[in-house]
Amino acid sequence: MATEYGGYMGKVLQINLTKQEVSEYPFTDEERRLFIGGKTMAAKILGDHLTGKEKAFSEENLLVITTGPMTGSGAPSSSRFNISTLSPQTGYITSSNCGGHFGYYLKKAGLDALILTGRCDRPTWIEINNEKVIFHDADGIWGMKTGETQAALDDKLRLKNGRVRKNGKICIGPAGENLVLYSCIVSNERVSGRGGTGAVMGWMRLKAVCASGNKEVQVHDKEKMVRHTQKWFRYLRKHPLTGSQLPKLGTAGLVSAMQMKHILSTKNYTYGQYDDFEKVSGEELAEKYNIVNKGCLTCPIRCARTVEVNGQQVKGPELETLVLLGGGILNNDLESIFKWNYELDELGLDTISCANTISYAMEANEKGLWDNGLKFSETEDLSKIFEDIAYRRGIGDELAQGSRRLSEKYGGKDFAIHAKGMELAAYEPRKAVGLGLGYATSNRGGCHLNGGYLVILEGLGLSMDQTTYHAKGDLTMLFQDLMEMISASGQCLFTSYAFFPTPLMNHPNAWYTKMVNRILPYTGPVVRIINKFPEIACFHLPVFHHTKGFEYTTGMKMTFGDYIRCGERGFNLEREVNRRFGVNANKDALPKRLTQTLQDPKDPDSKVPLEKLKKVYYHARGWDKDGLPAKRLLKKLKISEGADI
Amino acid sequence: MITVKIFGVARLRAGTGTFECDENDVKNVDELLNRIPNTTRKEARDLVLLVNGKPAGRRHRLEDGDEVVLLAPAGGG
Repeated sequence: MATEYGGYMGKVLQINLTKQEVSEYPFTDEERRLFIGGKTMAAKILGDHLTGKEKAFSEENLLVITTGPMTGSGAPSSSRFNISTLSPQTGYITSSNCGGHFGYYLKKAGLDALILTGRCDRPTWIEINNEKVIFHDADGIWGMKTGETQAALDDKLRLKNGRVRKNGKICIGPAGENLVLYSCIVSNERVSGRGGTGAVMGWMRLKAVCASGNKEVQVHDKEKMVRHTQKWFRYLRKHPLTGSQLPKLGTAGLVSAMQMKHILSTKNYTYGQYDDFEKVSGEELAEKYNIVNKGCLTCPIRCARTVEVNGQQVKGPELETLVLLGGGILNNDLESIFKWNYELDELGLDTISCANTISYAMEANEKGLWDNGLKFSETEDLSKIFEDIAYRRGIGDELAQGSRRLSEKYGGKDFAIHAKGMELAAYEPRKAVGLGLGYATSNRGGCHLNGGYLVILEGLGLSMDQTTYHAKGDLTMLFQDLMEMISASGQCLFTSYAFFPTPLMNHPNAWYTKMVNRILPYTGPVVRIINKFPEIACFHLPVFHHTKGFEYTTGMKMTFGDYIRCGERGFNLEREVNRRFGVNANKDALPKRLTQTLQDPKDPDSKVPLEKLKKVYYHARGWDKDGLPAKRLLKKLKISEGADI
Repeated sequence: MITVKIFGVARLRAGTGTFECDENDVKNVDELLNRIPNTTRKEARDLVLLVNGKPAGRRHRLEDGDEVVLLAPAGGG
């Protein structure tokens, strides 16, 4: 099905694994205009098929792999692709945005998206070359870890001249094969980490997908896009976050800032500071261990680190892994985290959920609820525990279920740190309560990015009052919608940090920055107007290059207001699909440790006032008291007609 | 003695993560900002300042035993 819009390849393939049948899936230009791509396109497809009765491990579930129109367009950090499915971990739809090469090569193969359904009768891997789909027996690679799998696949894609055909690939490791509920899908060294997408692929008996081809992404206005892209690259390189902090320190550079602001989760989120934080900080990593920076295709930020493990150069840990396998379990040995990070990727386990499940188990053991042998700061055997989880052996079989299910069995729900069944990221929200709201309302569960990442205002980039609830409901909605759209378009969320004007970041002590910090809690009504009537923002913002880039790539009109509206549509669409699976206000919850126990006994505000925040947030979103989108809203967003809900 | 700790990209620029100053040599934060290695005064003025874990201004008077933290705004995770 051809498209009049640039940036798209105009083709979506549906692959029935049970029958090994391939067909073109109809996706119209009207749907492209409304649902863009990435996670929103995937939510539309999932919403058209899921009724609320399906199970994650069933032939009725779908694994939807989507790119966005910006993927492969040459725009900064535009190699992203998304994987969405009904999550075995949460029971709701999950979406997982990933970098690397696969998205780019899926488009080179001529496809915007793949929809996988059914279940292979034996382990299989799929080769896609220029729209042609070939099913291969995966008996030889089933059981392999992710690095070994990808090397074996490259061997299979070797040309007659001995060179490996240029390709992008995704695969699962033993954890996905064994249906660990938080197993991930790996692409090169990048990971589609959250929500158990790897387990769904494992249930489908699909080991890997390789994409290659020689198709080109056609950009609507190439001349303008080239000029705009050059300007955009320059802007990102000059910005203090995307041009300095992230390239020099990676995401790990946040550890010290989080420590100073009391948002560094420590000992299973008991504290917001870790005494030994310097030993597991981004500065320590950069000064003593980082070999070289790495980045995804067309990315000027290059946030990835490279470290050495057992004489081999491998990807260094991201912030989340560093914190949760550092202070989270009271471990100050940075080199052990490098090793575990590598092992978890090789096994195909989500480092965030795995680390939090371990820290829950340590606390349950400490409190006498579950005699499992795991203790805080005693971490010598963790490599074996990770293997046991991936292969479902002994205690690993229990840990493979995640902290929510374990707390239901052994008790300790107050300190099983998850939202909707997905473990939280590394930011301790009692001193960043807006992020607490984000965790609770994120469609995929305890995610900081899908939750709006308000912590960037609450002490990291800016210094808004960390514990006030004022304005945070409205700001959370705005940020969630912005990030939703960036993700849907196929770009990295880190490009959004340049949204904050350079002077505010460069001069935190200037009078105007202090004024912004003071004013932010009073901006609720103004932000509410923008959220409610985004059409008034019928312009392009000089600090937000995404809208013009989107226009030049696709040919669709896209002002800042349109951009927010598209994000709002995507967020509400996921919420509406989740409604069928029982989501409501009660499910937008956090464990009592975060909402009822003070982080600092001397500070009565150091907990997440979740009910207050939710009330404002639901009102801002136009949701009812049950936390569900009103029918009028769905109609306004063209979800009810477009998504057949 | 006053302990100064530097984090973030400011630490990479300074080439050191920590140093000490005699409380008799620096009366307040403003004077301390002249002593950060490889860092101009202009650059130092743009760092977030914490004294004993609490936000502080440049006129904040320093005393023996104080810990001063300097860091740059950060984001992305």
